[in-house]
Amino acid sequence: MAVYKKTYRPYDGPLTPAWRRVAVIPRYAFDDLRRSRFLSLFFLASFIYPVICTLLIYVQHNASALELLNIRNASQLISINATFFLSLLGWQSVMALFLAAFVGPGQISPDLVNNGLSLYLARPFTRLEYAAGKASVLVVLMSLMTWVPGLLLFGLQGYLEGSGWAGANIRFAAGLFFGAWVWILLLSALALAVSAWVKWKPVAGALLFVIFFVSAAFGTAMNAVQRSNWGYLADISYLVGSVWVRLFEGGARTTSGAVFFRVPIGAELPLWQCCAVLILLFALCLYLLARRIRGVEVAR
Amino acid sequence: MNGVRMRQVAAVFRLEWRRTTLSKRAWWIYLLAAAPVLIALMHWVTMRGARLSHSVGEDSVIYAGLFLFLFLRGTIFFGCVGMFSGLFRGEMLEKTLHYALLTPVRREILVAGKYLAALAASLALFVPSAALTYLMLGRHFGPAWTDYLMNGPGLSQLGYYALVAALACVGYGAVFLLCGLLFRNPMIAAAVVWVWENLNPFLPSFLKKISIIFYLRSLCPVDVPAPPPFSIMAIETNPAPAWLAVAGLLAMAALLLVYAAVDARRAEIDYGE
Repeated sequence: MAVYKKTYRPYDGPLTPAWRRVAVIPRYAFDDLRRSRFLSLFFLASFIYPVICTLLIYVQHNASALELLNIRNASQLISINATFFLSLLGWQSVMALFLAAFVGPGQISPDLVNNGLSLYLARPFTRLEYAAGKASVLVVLMSLMTWVPGLLLFGLQGYLEGSGWAGANIRFAAGLFFGAWVWILLLSALALAVSAWVKWKPVAGALLFVIFFVSAAFGTAMNAVQRSNWGYLADISYLVGSVWVRLFEGGARTTSGAVFFRVPIGAELPLWQCCAVLILLFALCLYLLARRIRGVEVAR
Repeated sequence: MNGVRMRQVAAVFRLEWRRTTLSKRAWWIYLLAAAPVLIALMHWVTMRGARLSHSVGEDSVIYAGLFLFLFLRGTIFFGCVGMFSGLFRGEMLEKTLHYALLTPVRREILVAGKYLAALAASLALFVPSAALTYLMLGRHFGPAWTDYLMNGPGLSQLGYYALVAALACVGYGAVFLLCGLLFRNPMIAAAVVWVWENLNPFLPSFLKKISIIFYLRSLCPVDVPAPPPFSIMAIETNPAPAWLAVAGLLAMAALLLVYAAVDARRAEIDYGE
């Protein structure tokens, strides 16, 4: 064929349906993650706590097991109440944080470092779809770690307890589901924003820990030094914990929040302030993400 | 060490100093070092001239808690993760490590130069941060604070806190330099070390001693008990004597560095990994 005939011809093969394009990114990402032995082991290990909880629920409702353990009153063993489900959510959420610190930094930074973003965005694929595809990797994994086992345990307890327990305690199920989503959305946005702005993966992972743990220490230090509660506004774990406590218990508080997400009784801040700070943080992450995910690059 | 080796260490030190400090990439480490100073500054500004409801002694206990929970377990720890684990792994990711390895310099010298540069940078950031925070936290007491510093235990406490901050940089620096050399993702190792260090108050005595925080806590002039509800799970152990804590930490850092140097001698680059 003559060279002058080799002009541009658009691709005329079959196109992936628009609704399925967003699934392309997680498909490859999950393939990558499956290859990491450490991540697979960590993911499996994160289900140890839900398995223990399952056993506790089962033992509490199994007469022969109780006889074997010589426990007459099952409620003496453990109470399946708000504290039980809050502890589960708190523990699993910290596991999700560790997972986000290991998986999150590898989502966007390699595309930016290797100038690969334009290759994505040159296809019929929007920035939003790109970000949603990257976030979906974290969202799916963290959902499997948090609200999915939580709701399964709630279902098991409701089934074994019977006589309207699930209906009477539907607040726990709602708390598990919506509480986990608050954490998942915030953590996904944080992880992607950090991944977009910090090109070195280990540093990006460390930054996620810094944001979570050092902000908590910073908030507590500010409270101690200033003898006030305003430092909690800088403490992400407190802010999320406040939302959870309200979701699980409404206005009548009896617990001091979840493990790692403590909200000491008597040190409450207005819920609207906690929500406002969380929304601000989420919006900031989205803004940072939008600034970096662009199909053009200015070379200086 | 002869003159040539010293000059080589100094050259590596200069290069690494320029790379690790004064770089835009380290903004979050500067923020970490500045955060406690900002808290103390805010305390000074808001309490100056106000009717005081607390004493100098109370503020010194507050500082002890702040030093343990914010400095040792937060800013210094994560600052060292950022500074030291990137010494080799960072260059690996930037595909620039072969330039250093191709120079006629022994690998041990490379390790020593890099470690000293990051150590100097971390000392320059975190020791003044700890000292400034201490000095500013009680500044609003005016002459009473000056008296506490000059005639009371203030200056000696300040010296101990500065020493502990410096030793924390030495110890954690050596640990994370080695992590950066040994692991592809030093974050995983850092997370394990962090969990271990935070579990320290709840560990049996003999396990407590296999950590850095135990020796650092032993040197702190004011003891801070674990806050409730964790206090019921904490296991009390006698602190290590000061000489043992200092010597032990320095010896452990030296051992880790020797191991890092030995490992660096065998190190091969595979940028495709």
